[in-house]
Amino acid sequence: MTFFFKRMAAGAVLSVGLALPVAAAECIAPANPGGGWDFTCRQIGKILYDIGQVDQPVQVTNMAGGGGGLAYSHIVNERTDDADVIVAASSATTTRLAQNAFGGMTADQVRFVGAIGADPGVIVVSADSPFQSLTDMMEAMAADPGSVAFAGGSAAGGFDHLKVLQLAKRAGIEDIRTIRYIGVDGGADAITQTIGGFTQGMTGDMSEVVGFINAGEVRVLAVLTDERVPGFDDIPTAKEQGYDVVAVNWRGLYVPKDISDDEFQAWADKLQAVADSDDWKAAMEANGLAPFTKVGGDFQSWVDGVIAETVELSREIGVIQ
Amino acid sequence: MDLFSNLALGFSVALSPFTLMLAIVGCFLGTIIGALPGLGPSNGVAILIPLAFTMGLDATSALVLLTSVYYGAMYGGRISSILLNIPGDEPAMMTCLDGYPMAQQGKAGEALVLSGVASFVGAMFATIGLMLLAPLLARVAYLFGPAEYFALYLLAFCTLGGIASKNQAKAALAACIGLAIAMIGLDNTSGMPRFTYGNLHLMDGIDFLVAIVGLFAIAEVFVFIESHGRDSAVGVKLEKVIIPWKTIAGSTWTMLRSSVIGFIAGILPGAGASLGSFLAYMGERAVSKDKETFGTGNPRAVAAPEAGNNSAAGGALIPMLTLGVPGSGTTAVLLALLLTLNITPGPTLFTDRPEVVWGLIASLIIANFVLLIMNVPMVKIFVKILSVPPMLLLPGVTMVSFVGIYSLTGSYFDLLLMVAFGVGGYLLRKLGVPLVPIILGILLGNYMEDALRRAMVLSNGDWSFLFSSYIAIGLWIAAIGGFVAPIFLRGLFARPKAGLTD
Amino acid sequence: MASDRIFGLVMILMALAYIASAFQIQTSFLADPVGSKTFPVAVGIVVILCGLVFMVKPDGEPEWPDLRTWGRLAFAVAVLVAYSYALKPMGFLVPTVFTAGLLAYQITPKPAAAVMAGFGLSVGLFIVFRYGLGLGLQPFPKGLLG
Repeated sequence: MTFFFKRMAAGAVLSVGLALPVAAAECIAPANPGGGWDFTCRQIGKILYDIGQVDQPVQVTNMAGGGGGLAYSHIVNERTDDADVIVAASSATTTRLAQNAFGGMTADQVRFVGAIGADPGVIVVSADSPFQSLTDMMEAMAADPGSVAFAGGSAAGGFDHLKVLQLAKRAGIEDIRTIRYIGVDGGADAITQTIGGFTQGMTGDMSEVVGFINAGEVRVLAVLTDERVPGFDDIPTAKEQGYDVVAVNWRGLYVPKDISDDEFQAWADKLQAVADSDDWKAAMEANGLAPFTKVGGDFQSWVDGVIAETVELSREIGVIQ
Repeated sequence: MDLFSNLALGFSVALSPFTLMLAIVGCFLGTIIGALPGLGPSNGVAILIPLAFTMGLDATSALVLLTSVYYGAMYGGRISSILLNIPGDEPAMMTCLDGYPMAQQGKAGEALVLSGVASFVGAMFATIGLMLLAPLLARVAYLFGPAEYFALYLLAFCTLGGIASKNQAKAALAACIGLAIAMIGLDNTSGMPRFTYGNLHLMDGIDFLVAIVGLFAIAEVFVFIESHGRDSAVGVKLEKVIIPWKTIAGSTWTMLRSSVIGFIAGILPGAGASLGSFLAYMGERAVSKDKETFGTGNPRAVAAPEAGNNSAAGGALIPMLTLGVPGSGTTAVLLALLLTLNITPGPTLFTDRPEVVWGLIASLIIANFVLLIMNVPMVKIFVKILSVPPMLLLPGVTMVSFVGIYSLTGSYFDLLLMVAFGVGGYLLRKLGVPLVPIILGILLGNYMEDALRRAMVLSNGDWSFLFSSYIAIGLWIAAIGGFVAPIFLRGLFARPKAGLTD
Repeated sequence: MASDRIFGLVMILMALAYIASAFQIQTSFLADPVGSKTFPVAVGIVVILCGLVFMVKPDGEPEWPDLRTWGRLAFAVAVLVAYSYALKPMGFLVPTVFTAGLLAYQITPKPAAAVMAGFGLSVGLFIVFRYGLGLGLQPFPKGLLG
């Protein structure tokens, strides 16, 4: 037993917010264990250690609250010059920032250091659905916007919902508010409801449906990327079907604002090393992520662009005033 | 036989001296984590994930360790329920109702052994179900849409009438308090905040762990301060644990019935172990001939929820493995572990990675036997841990609660909330308001509301959609015919004016 | 008798406040048939009905503690509130000695034993949490150890 406890003490830490005196890097997952952000922290943290980019295992802290807002305010208010902390982020983070869902905090209060993978957005129907293509579905919706109900993993107005609304706008549907959407607890739940026939379509991420594609239970009508996703070459993009919508759920990190440029660059380089590692490539493949690497200053300016777009779209739809 | 060759494959990966040691360590830690209020199965598993990585465990060993902790915590939750009247984790709250009275009557040993055996029966039932029927049962989730889920949650609330034998209105009030608390936070359907008053801490709602630890553990501290520790079962001498064969034999059918109920609740995503133990208790009460002894230390009322919650814990693995839908907080953590190990659950997992699935099943079986031995002949060890004098035990429980809750968000906000729940829990107990419905309301309130609102979105506001399938109609009949109507009928025959509150 | 009546009244008042607050909930750009106010309002109404029942048909009077005991309970609450605030800035060990010691004294008023309980629980639990369960608890205020 003593052997066991020593091993535990050696570094096994589920940090509980009381910051540790040890000088190990900390990755904050702004959600409970088990979600996408938790995955980002644990996977990136594990690889950073395995490939020798950090000397000690990265501690993963779960700081659930406010859809990521609590962790955001923690960084902005309490750790704004802490160079040893990274925070998991994704499209949900920027969507919420754009929709002012973090109690007035803005995107320029942290620095977005990089994304090293993206989960392509998908529109999915069950295998026995009458819709064979995205065009079929959009034409049915143009005739009667209420005829197709969607399930997605985000609340109304969230990222998954926006995907459908963007497509509908491109299809020339005027009254997008009559499109029915139910936000359920995660993508897997949404796909279950769609296979069960309770909703006609599912909007989500590729990683959420990979198992179901392989099992032949669903049909992906469109993937929301510029080009077809490697490994899923028979799935057409929305773009090639005439609906120019690109929506990927990137997986990445942000860091506190007031760290030095060198420290910022150091994290960017570490992240690049993770992106180049075979471990990460294997993890991406197993989880249906598409390559999407943007680090450092590049990424920051890309994020700024995405947020500006989301603000515009949300305003158009009426999510924000 | 496919089954046996698969099982042999499973045992060949899961049965080695090293994994056996991991199973024993995991079961022991899990039981302790389960018994400590505030630390439940999901914290337990989350705590040990980094450990599994630092030790460099491979996928199978990591799974063995963590499932042992998971099952261990499900077993352990009952210990503090029975001895302290504080549920070690949320599914164990139903075990308080009759387990603690049994302990007060000096039958703590009997209650512990019986509930240990019931846990074993429930867990084995679920493991066998998982083994034989998982791919088939996964399809059950496809049959449950918003209307069916709404009817299911409604059934749970309708059974509440049975929880308070004296004053139905107080049980109803308690459920409403829970529901009112559940409404706090982001509204899933509209994406708008409710009752948060701009406070970020309230955006994700109030964690039920904060509520349960406050209402039970902190409130218990106040009760002890008032009574100086008199009239409590703490420090009950367990001279010799005698296996109460007769009681166990008398509860066989109870355990099996409850296992079935729990298993079904476990398979349905969102319902989980708490609903499993709750419905098992209420179901048992409904069919038993000595209803009036429920709540006063009826052994079958101890066996039922324990078989139910352990069976549900096993059942919850099915949607997690076959659909990637975590049915509970703990399975969400296990899902995270699988993803980190590059194992993607889904409909094809059973064919793609048989060594993982069957290794997991084999490790569940191993964990169950280890736990049966730890929790029946060796239960005294855990009892010893809890039978220190109240002046040490209660402050200890308080500190554990604080640290456990602190680990959720790392802020004082949840701690203050927990103390507030403690004060509220103390007052409500004095006033004879049952606490279990509050927890049930917090746990299921959002699910129930979301289910109703989703159903109405899908049907464009047509209420008849709620009765649009045989499953939904069946659940409605069970809810009204089995639980609501008897209250009125009983009132009609015995006390003409009672029952007007429901 | 009186307790239940007061309790019923308090519950009714709280339910009214809750309902009033529910009407302040912002409506979203997408309205669903049920809406975000229906459920909270319905819950509030049931609470009011329950409160009325308590006022009309109260149960017997519970055994309330005497004034001195109320004082002791209030003190315990104050200690726990202080502990909540102290845990983060002051680390685990010192606040825990005081809180655990004071609670132990309140349950069994033996000063020496209570002091021992405070120290024992603080150090013992710290070891269990930090080294047994691997939780990242901080022992002392951040500044002290650097």
